[in-house]
Amino acid sequence: MDEALMLQLVLWLPLAGLFALLLVPAGAGDAIRRLSLWTMLVQAALCVWLYLRFDPAVAGLQFATRMPWIEDWGVFFSIGLDGTNLLLVLLTGFLGPIVVAGSFSAITKDVKLFYAMVFLIQFAMIGTFLAQDLFVFYLFWETMLIPMFLMIGIWGGERRIYATLKFVLYTAFGSILMLAAVIWLVLAAQQAAGPGAAPSFAFEDLVKVPLTREAQTWLFAAFGLSFAIKVPIFPLHTWLPDAHVEAPTTGSVILAGVLLKMGTYGFIKLGFPLFPDATATFTPLIMLLAVASIVIGAGLALVQDDIKKFITYSSISHLGYVMLGLVSLNLIGIQGAIVQMVSHGLVAAGLFLVIGMIYERCHTRELAAYGGLAQALPAYSVAFMLLTLASIGLPTTSGFTGEFLVLLGAFNAAWARHLSGDSFALVAAVLAASGVILGALYMLRFAARFLFGPTRAPGLEQGHVHDLVPREKAILAALLAAIFWLGLFPDEPMRKTELAARQYQQLVATSRLPAATAAAPATLATVAGAPR
Amino acid sequence: MNRDAFLVGMLPEHFLLAGVVLLIVLSIAAPAGRERGAAALSIAVVAAAAVCAAGLGLQGFAGQPFPGQLSVSPAASLGKAVALALALPVLVRAREEQGDGGPFYPLLLSSLYGLVLMLGSDSFLTLFLGLELMSLPVYTLVLLGTRRTPRAAEAALKYVVLGGAATATLLMGVSLLYGHGGTLAIGAFARALASADPMAVTGAVLVLLAFFVKGALVPFHTWAPDAYEGATVPVTGYMAAVIKAGVLLAALRLVGEAALSQPLVQLLVALPLLSIVWGNLAAMRQPNLRRLMAYSSIAHAGYLFLAFLGAGPGRFQAVLFYLLAYGVMTLLAFAALPAHADEPQRDRIEGPAGLTGLFHRQPFAAIMIGLAMLSLAGIPPLPGFVAKFLVFREVMAAGHTAVAVAGLVGSYLGIYFYLRVIQRMFMTATEVPVQGEAPARGAAVVASVVCLVPAIALVVAPGWVLARI
Repeated sequence: MDEALMLQLVLWLPLAGLFALLLVPAGAGDAIRRLSLWTMLVQAALCVWLYLRFDPAVAGLQFATRMPWIEDWGVFFSIGLDGTNLLLVLLTGFLGPIVVAGSFSAITKDVKLFYAMVFLIQFAMIGTFLAQDLFVFYLFWETMLIPMFLMIGIWGGERRIYATLKFVLYTAFGSILMLAAVIWLVLAAQQAAGPGAAPSFAFEDLVKVPLTREAQTWLFAAFGLSFAIKVPIFPLHTWLPDAHVEAPTTGSVILAGVLLKMGTYGFIKLGFPLFPDATATFTPLIMLLAVASIVIGAGLALVQDDIKKFITYSSISHLGYVMLGLVSLNLIGIQGAIVQMVSHGLVAAGLFLVIGMIYERCHTRELAAYGGLAQALPAYSVAFMLLTLASIGLPTTSGFTGEFLVLLGAFNAAWARHLSGDSFALVAAVLAASGVILGALYMLRFAARFLFGPTRAPGLEQGHVHDLVPREKAILAALLAAIFWLGLFPDEPMRKTELAARQYQQLVATSRLPAATAAAPATLATVAGAPR
Repeated sequence: MNRDAFLVGMLPEHFLLAGVVLLIVLSIAAPAGRERGAAALSIAVVAAAAVCAAGLGLQGFAGQPFPGQLSVSPAASLGKAVALALALPVLVRAREEQGDGGPFYPLLLSSLYGLVLMLGSDSFLTLFLGLELMSLPVYTLVLLGTRRTPRAAEAALKYVVLGGAATATLLMGVSLLYGHGGTLAIGAFARALASADPMAVTGAVLVLLAFFVKGALVPFHTWAPDAYEGATVPVTGYMAAVIKAGVLLAALRLVGEAALSQPLVQLLVALPLLSIVWGNLAAMRQPNLRRLMAYSSIAHAGYLFLAFLGAGPGRFQAVLFYLLAYGVMTLLAFAALPAHADEPQRDRIEGPAGLTGLFHRQPFAAIMIGLAMLSLAGIPPLPGFVAKFLVFREVMAAGHTAVAVAGLVGSYLGIYFYLRVIQRMFMTATEVPVQGEAPARGAAVVASVVCLVPAIALVVAPGWVLARI
């Protein structure tokens, strides 16, 4: 009971912080920053505490709360931790104080609104991960749009209006189709439960609903499109470079750190388990797009001149691995995908932070303007290099754990198929592995031009460029500690996610077509035409 | 006449009528130019009427004060309560715009009286009486804006002419229904909906068309943008929220829980969808908030009439909930809008004044208008989302999956122009201090809070509200 309250507290704390902010006068910048940082620190501590208390031997939800909310529709305010969201909640909570502390010097305009938006998006992100009820999930999912819209639009770069509208309109289109699918699915579930049955939005009920292949295909297309835009999977990624480039550092950190995990989390929690037969049909396509994301993302990263765009394309490439791991349906691959999500969250957040730090000093994102920072800014360069190596996936870093497990899982699954005559997956896995080499190529090429060679950076001679201040050192040290923790000791987090990964594997592997003998299968026509 | 039903059941009507009489006496008695107390009196009367209506509705009071003409039912009382409550923020904000006396208050209360009568009507006679009593004062109310904007006269004329056309259409439809069934009871309408007789169907369709005109559904919407733009802000809010609610609830009273015949289903699919798409597209290019809200209200009329496709009691629930969510958020946008010495500058979307950079001048107003826009766009967790969900759930449950998907995609088109307002307010800086703009006064804050409280209730406890309607 008390522990369930702790989870509630993790969820509501950012919202409480937002309301507390309203009481602080807008001019008191330091008070606002302190309040925000402390709230986030408490939340992070609670997340760590919950992580430590999480029992790996229990299948299903822990610390769960389930309260009736809209009883007429069967909507319950239902939240809980399980193996799929545990690490992501931990990641979100952990990044909270880092996001706040990382923006202290960069955000000087409309400070109060800014931290209010940081709190709101934190609330929405934690809520999306914790939600165990489709209605609640959708509510939180869409709530994330508004703070990010304002964050890019108010504190962003020159083309911020274009970028932020593109971001919202792109993602909202996926969401509106998902909304149609949500309504349809819930009505179908009610229909399948028989006359007089109470409607339910609970995930655990929805994954039991038998659906025809046609229905699954439509619903998967709607859910999948929404998630694929959020991941983003090639070719739906075109909003991301604009959003990242124009967003303030904080926006980029949140976007890369947590928001991009929403798409993959949506697939693992809903998209694949709800519609297993459609997933089986679409697996080759998803594999193809995942590999395309890996290879094309890496290729595009190679040719970027803008350092933020560079990290953006590398993100697209890294998230391709997550998708590949999820559709491999191999336990190792699935667990690798989960670790890779967290790892990418940490590494990409770190990279955007260090880029933000240099941008604050030099005010340019042109790669060509920089060089030889290793001599001018040694501490900065060490942190940068470590993050680069983590991004490449050097052993002992989290990137290695994630990518290696995903590729191992993908090869295991592909080899089994290859033996039965289907070599498509094997080719995909080989191509994906080549992405690791491309990744090393572009990251090292980038680091070489950025950190080594002739020493130059705008403002270097005038002394505007100084090395990391203690606040920045603390932020990066915390991030690097987490990255090495996940790289060196992955077995404990993986033990905690194992049962959930097994459950996911089993759900996606089990066909959910209606039994052939059933008199009234839930087809589009019969469900839609039936009285409620 | 049924005494108990008359005394207790018609309490909301009595309060309003007493208010109208008192207001007229007050304006005669007070020396010209120094009227006082009209706003406070109106607020008290309307609040009392709303509370009575809500009490009657929640307690399930049913009766027939005038059998065959006027009845009181829980559903009708709840509808009255919603419409009357929506008038409160209008009245709170009206004093600074319309003064504390004069014709505004008696006219507005008469219009409300008509609305309430219409929602209780059992025969087309009382329905017509109520509808006209509701509409006629509004024509004059629009005209009151002439003092500030010369275009008000043109707008009012357009409104009168199209309103008159709607009246004529309604009467034509009613006479056909009378010719078919030989009765003026509104039950004839519901029977005509399922009937295959061409005369009955034509009558029903004509009556519905009259409501489409009054509710500003495409292609009968052309009066709305001009009337909304020409009127003063409180009157615009009144038309957008209260009149819309009255029209929709009256149409709902006629349709009831009746099943719809195929031609009517087609009508109720085609025009609302057209309205959603056209309203949302046309709103993108509007120069000021009032015109924008007119097109927004046209699109929302589309969602509301789409809810008629739902079956049984769900229809009423969806429409009433939607009206409440749409009404409070529309009124919130108008309630928070800062006053400006030069009326047309007040709600300009582009340009140096108006909404541009409003957040940097008046953060409270900008945040309130922003919340209203997001809710109207149907973005969670604001009340507009639950309302939209409810409507499309009804539509889909009734078997119109394709219609629901089309409507949702149509609603997506609307996101852009609502966000554009937010973009102008938050993401554009104003260099010069804006001349003539008044700071947010007490009335604007009070009116905003009056809208915000039900909005918060709809967000936090939609289930609690739904269980009661």
